[in-house]
Amino acid sequence: MGAATRIAGKDLKLRLRDRSVFILGIITPLALAYIFHLVFGNAFSADSLELEVGLVDLDGSAVSQSLGEVLADLDADGILVLSEFDDPVAAEAAVEQGDIGALIELEPGLGDAVLMGQPFTIEVVGDVDSPTSTQVASSIASEFGSAVERAQLSVATAVELGQGPPPEDVAAWGQEAAQRPPAFTFTDVSADTRQLDANTFFAAGMAVFFLFFTVQFGVVGILEEKQGGTMARLLAAPISHASVVAGKAILSFVLGVISMAVLMVATHFLMGAQWGPPLGVALLVVTGVLAATAIMGVIAGAATTADGAGNLGAVIAVILGMLGGTFFPIGQGNELLARLSYLTPHAWFMRGLADISGGAEWTAALPAAGALLLFSVVFGAVAWALLRRKLGK
Amino acid sequence: MTTVLAAKGLNKRFDDLVAVDGVSFEIAEGETFGLLGPNGAGKTTSISMVAGLLEPDSGTVHVGGTAIRTSSTDGRAEIGLVPQELAIYPDLTGAENLKFFGRLYDMAGDELERRVGEVLEVIGLSDRKDDLTREYSGGMQRRLNIGIGLLHRPRLLILDEPTVGVDPQSRNSILESVENLSGQGIAVLYTTHYMEEAERLCDRVAIIDEGVIQAEGTRRELVSLVGEKDRIRVTMTGDVEEVARIASELPNVHEASVSDSGVDVLAAEASTLLPELLSRVSAAGANVTGVAVFEPNLEAVFLHLTGKALRD
Ligand SMILES: Nc1ncnc2c1ncn2[C@@H]1O[C@H](COP(=O)(O)OP(=O)(O)OP(=O)(O)O)[C@@H](O)[C@H]1O
Ligand SMILES: [Mg+2]
Repeated sequence: MGAATRIAGKDLKLRLRDRSVFILGIITPLALAYIFHLVFGNAFSADSLELEVGLVDLDGSAVSQSLGEVLADLDADGILVLSEFDDPVAAEAAVEQGDIGALIELEPGLGDAVLMGQPFTIEVVGDVDSPTSTQVASSIASEFGSAVERAQLSVATAVELGQGPPPEDVAAWGQEAAQRPPAFTFTDVSADTRQLDANTFFAAGMAVFFLFFTVQFGVVGILEEKQGGTMARLLAAPISHASVVAGKAILSFVLGVISMAVLMVATHFLMGAQWGPPLGVALLVVTGVLAATAIMGVIAGAATTADGAGNLGAVIAVILGMLGGTFFPIGQGNELLARLSYLTPHAWFMRGLADISGGAEWTAALPAAGALLLFSVVFGAVAWALLRRKLGK
Repeated sequence: MTTVLAAKGLNKRFDDLVAVDGVSFEIAEGETFGLLGPNGAGKTTSISMVAGLLEPDSGTVHVGGTAIRTSSTDGRAEIGLVPQELAIYPDLTGAENLKFFGRLYDMAGDELERRVGEVLEVIGLSDRKDDLTREYSGGMQRRLNIGIGLLHRPRLLILDEPTVGVDPQSRNSILESVENLSGQGIAVLYTTHYMEEAERLCDRVAIIDEGVIQAEGTRRELVSLVGEKDRIRVTMTGDVEEVARIASELPNVHEASVSDSGVDVLAAEASTLLPELLSRVSAAGANVTGVAVFEPNLEAVFLHLTGKALRD
């Protein structure tokens, strides 16, 4: 252990002399998080989540009115704010001026088209500055559309099978189907899964995204020692091979924890990021840094040069970061992506922070911390074996 | 004299290539032993096994009686290694480099400080100790590379071609420091493909080629092994024919012949012959204007043993 910390101490000195670790580990993530904060700071923060949706019903049929009712219910539940318009021109102007985030337009003849089994369109006009309102309006409209299509289908089937029920009945069934409560439910996700407010989300996302670059400054040092010729001296010294590998891992861990701590404190003061109970945060940071070190250790063990490891590491860090939802909440509305994202430590880290947000206990971080620890152990074992083998020859 | 290093029957293959084949040698306290051979001869591979960096396929290495293995740290503190490639950190100062490696050998505190100061003195870098080594000249970097190997006072110092790519002045100072080491009782293993260095520094030399030690001994032993003779050229005015005749009758003289402006004498050992030869020449009434001695060198021995030149 003594030799490992001496090696880590020497490397820390070298890394601090070379400014790239500051740039990649602190300046860049901080700058990006701050830019996101300025641009999207209020886009989807939990407190100011203003989903303002407008509705123009030019059809006025039973079918179109049932959508109005659904929206009114959501309004009553406080999930969105509904504004009804009579004039489509005024409604679109309201979108343009940002009074409402998105507009659902129901064209005349929609109800008839539905009853006759003909194709129909529901138009959604979105405000570019309110991506969330637009997304919500679109998904409501498309869910409604598919509910209506299912009704159409059952009517059509009845017509084919049934020995020709009178057309009046068919029309009645159609109306009934359309009036049935639509076969979709709009669940308020924040109720069962907690979410980070926008600023904390950006800060956490950038911090964990760049963490994977920062920890590289530790483990890739093994390749640098080999290329720089100093590995021969380390191996000739009366220290074990394990302590050489451990020294590099310690440096990764220290750099990772320092950068995360600095970023968390800085984003708290700069952009109001809220991190939750310190014990829970510390647990997530420690297990998150371990997982990042382990994965980057595998990359260093697989590469033959430091540059190669840097390039491969960057590619992996970007892919995992994107998939893990560090830039934008991935998989909202895409089940598959949402599942896949949990193959990344990033997603677990973000999830853990969300779990302890909004006044939860620190113990809420345990599941995510457990997942991160699992990443650390599995990838850590592979990295250890690969890196030890590198020294053997 | 105590044996510091004993390497026995070292073998190492890299796939199909036999890099080192049955290499054995011993080095005693205060002795400088040279491993002389061309590029790819197996010098670095041999010393990597001696230093415990590379596990031999077969054979053993003992330093101070302790077996050296890659899997163990036993005996390593007795060895100082100066790798062929520069092995220093460019972004640390000279003093920081020394201190870091010193700590790996469990040196600390005042003792470390003092020893770092001494070594900086020996390698002539005291006034540059606080500069980053990336700002050092090539020769200074080489000297630091050697200093790190010396720092922990090893009993065996291994230097792998330490003067490659060094200017003549730095080279000379490196050779001088190595000469001083044997005086301090350190056993030195010195690899080179410069025969002048081997001749100047080494008490004994092993000539290695294609992984095999072709011959081993003092320079004199090696030279006589291949039957090479010293050549003495005496330039003079007077009866050169008569001088040549007299010289050829002296004991230990192999042959004496008239050359352009004097006499060429071939003998087993020039140094013992020279006083007698010169007094006979004077007695014969010739006037000596110059004497030059050409001792056959290891280059010639190498050529004789392997049929090729030492340098490509
Ligand atoms: N790790 C390795 N893998 C494969 N072959 C190797 C390896 N190390 C050395 N060799 C081969 O073994 C032979 C001996 O190499 P070695 O480095 O010991 O020579 P050397 O005498 O030190 O030469 P030089 O004067 O050029 O340093 C060479 O043919 C070399 O190509
Ligand atoms: Mg070599």
